[in-house]
Amino acid sequence: MTFYEREINRISNIIYSNQEQIQTVIGVRNYIDNNYDTDLNLDLLSHLHFISKFHLLRLFKKHYGLTLRQYLIDKRIEKSKQHLKNGMSVTETCFAVGFESLGSFSTLFKTKTGNSPSEFKNEQLSRSKLDSEF
Amino acid sequence: MKVTLISIPVRDQEKALKFYTEILGFIIKKDKPLEGGNRWLTLVSKEAQDGPELLLEPGPNHFEPCKIYQDALMEAGIPYTQFNVENVDAEYEKLTKLGVEFSVKPSKMGTWKYAVFNDTCGNNIELVEEL
Repeated sequence: MTFYEREINRISNIIYSNQEQIQTVIGVRNYIDNNYDTDLNLDLLSHLHFISKFHLLRLFKKHYGLTLRQYLIDKRIEKSKQHLKNGMSVTETCFAVGFESLGSFSTLFKTKTGNSPSEFKNEQLSRSKLDSEF
Repeated sequence: MKVTLISIPVRDQEKALKFYTEILGFIIKKDKPLEGGNRWLTLVSKEAQDGPELLLEPGPNHFEPCKIYQDALMEAGIPYTQFNVENVDAEYEKLTKLGVEFSVKPSKMGTWKYAVFNDTCGNNIELVEEL
């Protein structure tokens, strides 16, 4: 066994000793991945996984390094980029990935990617046009 | 500021290019000659061609401490670089069929699954899947 494997095992035994907790947060993450486009909220997630809201918030942050809300936003932005690349309109994309307000979608998209959704879409379109011309 | 490049030390750029493109499936982004037969050689992943570039850097051949550090990491089994994948088990199956040697088979650690392989260029590389 290498030094690396020994260290991984040692650390794992310390920070990942509670398998039940790990299965819970993995289950929550999978649920978000499969339902990011619906009206997800903390009450629903905690109810589905039989865990208190505050405990779930703490556990998720502990194991994934970001809050549930940040994770959900990142997932929605990642999916929205795919929709925009495939030619979907900005408004359709906004609702297709679960946002309820075009304003908050545009603001978050710009914060996360550096471009507004329409700028991103136009850039993708002009890039594919350039690719086909050369 | 933006993160656009990560470098990986390699002893033989041509050999590394073959391994990283033909076995791992990366594609060439930039390839330009430098002095002494060295090249500025960067790759990107097929799925994220706008993503960060991976520089195959012949540092160990020109800077002894780089070589010593790389050797020490290899001996300890430590992967300095990791690539994220959708499915570690599937990548393990695919790469072992292509002759890639793994020092750590797919294993679980908390909310991660990981495996470590030898890139034949002096490095351990870790594949990681978030569960």
